[in-house]
Amino acid sequence: MTIVWLDDTGCQEVSRVGGKVAHLSRLAAEYQVPPGFCLTTSAFREWAGHEGGSAEEFPSELLRQLSDAYGELARRSDVERPSVAVRSSAIDEDGRFASFAGQYETYLNLEGDAAVAAAVLRCWHSTRTERVTEYRDRAGLADERLEMAVLVQELVPADSSAVIFSANPVTQNRDEVVINASWGLGESIVGGTVNPDTFTLDKRDLTVTESKISEKKVMTVRARDGTEEVPVPRFMRSHPTLSDDQLVAMARLAMRLEDEMGWPVDLESAYCGEELYLLQCRQITTLTELDQS
Amino acid sequence: MSDAGTPSEPVAIPPQEDFPVEWASADEEKIPWQLDLMHFNNAMPPLEGEFWAQFIDGVGLGMEHFEMPLQVAAKPFNYWLYYGVFPRFPPEQMEEQSKRSDEVVMATIYRLQERWDDEWLPEIKAQIEEWDAFDVAAASTADLRAHLSEMWEGAHRLADIHFQIIIPVYIALSLLDELYNDLFSDGVFESQKLFQGFDNKTMEVGRALWDLSRKARASGGVRKIFEEHSPGDVLNALAESDDGRAFAKELDDFLNSHGKRMSDWGIRHESWIEDPSPVLVNLKDYIQQEGDPDAELEERAAERIDAITAVRERLQGYPSHVRDEFERLLKAAATAVVLSEDHGYWIDFQSTYRVRRVIVEIGERLAQAGTVATAADVFFLRTDEITPALGASPAPDHTGVVEARKKEMEHFGSVKPPLFMGTDYGPPPPDLLSTALGKFFGAPAEQDNAADTVAGNAGSPGKFRGTARVVRSLDEADKLGVGEILVAETTSPSWTPLFATAAGIVTDTGGILSHCAVVAREYRIPAVVGTGVATSTIRDGQTIEVDGDAGRVHLID
Repeated sequence: MTIVWLDDTGCQEVSRVGGKVAHLSRLAAEYQVPPGFCLTTSAFREWAGHEGGSAEEFPSELLRQLSDAYGELARRSDVERPSVAVRSSAIDEDGRFASFAGQYETYLNLEGDAAVAAAVLRCWHSTRTERVTEYRDRAGLADERLEMAVLVQELVPADSSAVIFSANPVTQNRDEVVINASWGLGESIVGGTVNPDTFTLDKRDLTVTESKISEKKVMTVRARDGTEEVPVPRFMRSHPTLSDDQLVAMARLAMRLEDEMGWPVDLESAYCGEELYLLQCRQITTLTELDQS
Repeated sequence: MSDAGTPSEPVAIPPQEDFPVEWASADEEKIPWQLDLMHFNNAMPPLEGEFWAQFIDGVGLGMEHFEMPLQVAAKPFNYWLYYGVFPRFPPEQMEEQSKRSDEVVMATIYRLQERWDDEWLPEIKAQIEEWDAFDVAAASTADLRAHLSEMWEGAHRLADIHFQIIIPVYIALSLLDELYNDLFSDGVFESQKLFQGFDNKTMEVGRALWDLSRKARASGGVRKIFEEHSPGDVLNALAESDDGRAFAKELDDFLNSHGKRMSDWGIRHESWIEDPSPVLVNLKDYIQQEGDPDAELEERAAERIDAITAVRERLQGYPSHVRDEFERLLKAAATAVVLSEDHGYWIDFQSTYRVRRVIVEIGERLAQAGTVATAADVFFLRTDEITPALGASPAPDHTGVVEARKKEMEHFGSVKPPLFMGTDYGPPPPDLLSTALGKFFGAPAEQDNAADTVAGNAGSPGKFRGTARVVRSLDEADKLGVGEILVAETTSPSWTPLFATAAGIVTDTGGILSHCAVVAREYRIPAVVGTGVATSTIRDGQTIEVDGDAGRVHLID
């Protein structure tokens, strides 16, 4: 299997897709995760075995499968040329290498199978850069132990994006949900270039106990062949990014995931129209010590 | 934006020595009076002052409709019309009121077309019809007296509608401009392309005049008459030939459909029907020119569609809030830009023409009775003097009063009136209306120290070098030759036909959304507006360069 869909159980095998994608696949079974597919380690090996892995050449049979998958994504998302994000997920046995090589290859807002194929190639090829080779040699890691899966996922044209904490990460209050939200794609919040709105909700009755509306000066939007950070027009700058209904829906999502995971979570999420998408779910690490004590 | 929102200490403005004012009350002195030179750049007789003061009262009514926390006063002082805008609530309530008002205004902005089609235009037309049904010449003097007061009330109601239209119209245009410039800072005129190339009543009249000029060109005899006679002699010359008489008939048709407007702002000016000279001046110029106004309008419309398409493409990856707001404001602006002209056609021209018609008849009756020396002298009386005089026996003699006022007006007409009087409250806190008005009236231009440059606001893009013609009133319009630069204090909509003759425009007053700037863009001629000093700095006949993009005029010789 060279290509598996996020909502297939085949996409939950860590050794074929990497931990992050496997985790996302488990979420996709139950939650609204943007549709996508993963080029597994088998695809990587096919490329690597083909003329030793060229930076320019995509194995033709694989390319056909990728085109088909992109076409299927178009059908599933009901968009002629869906905009996608391409993200690498490096895999090695001890995990040390993965944290270094290619883990952060991300290409946003690509349209059309040719653009997707080119981005996948760049991800694969990132395992061959001088920096990686040097590191590998120094660390004494064997060549074949580094493999890479690549996730191709629909990029949600977010109206607003949020990071949701199922516990207050600052006060460590486990009875609160804290939501950081801003306009557009999530990059400006995650990257810290915007001062987001902060909403606090009481988990017990889902009331909004605090709304700190900040002046949001920039936002990340989709631009030609990628994304761009642009100014927020004045009429939106000091306007709350989310309605109370949206905040409650987000709090519910975080509480459900916390319940299911068994630990406090932080989520990356996005609203597009009335649809709430789950983009990522992690454990809140700052609360771990509290849990252990 | 210094001190925005924090009202500064009111300061009494010291009086100007050659402009003595006696305040009617202590409250009157507390008003921040100012001149509006864009609309009222001349001294005016009392009846005109009374008419406009009542008209400006409509601004306050409009503000009340939109729950704005402001009120307005207007009054002629020494024959100059002053107005003042000041808070209606104590400072601590202003912000809350202002927010509420924004919501009311926005609700209207999104429904401009419906309100115009369903409410405003029908009411204006009904009022005009009602006035037309009154046979002025046949009316008894008593009827005329009754009609005057009804008409004055009707005009007040139209003034109210006028500002219910104007306030959201200019806020809509301003908001689209703001949104565009927040999103893409790529030049002052780019946003203006989003609402250019719409047909409106101003353009319609301009085109009708153009079509008339084509008919004159087509007939060799008529063309010759226009070329060989001064505008004042054209009518007599036309009467002497068959071709000429046929054209005179066409001219009459034009005047009947489009001549119900004064040659300039206000009731004291003659209408095109009473005196077609402005039309003849324009015709003389147009006859010399080639062009295709229809094709030009289409071209501007095509440019608009391209600009809109480009924005929509750029906004595809933006949050839907941005796209939705853009579409809403775009729709509002498409109506607003048309209404920014058409409201004037219907109210300022068509309706005001009907008011003048009655005043002129009253003037004639008063002149017959010996109350005034000539019909036109009626403009030197107030309504509270006219009403009792109509039909009074014996007729009162106001000729002395009129003469005294004429002298006084002549005196103050030559004085430079103070721009501000009363009390200064500092700049108002920025809100939707003040931002929009800033673009309409224009920020006062800061003059460079360079002696060969006049600074103003960018009005219409492009550069043109040519001969300056300083035109102080429409009576001097025939000074302007084809391809010369029109330099004027202000250009009311009556000046629009001159834009087809001029190759560049420079004004003392106005901002990027002023009538002058909007129309100059439609005519595609460079314009620098709101210089404050152009008519006093630029010499008639001087070679100048108008740089519409930079908002600068360079004096070449």
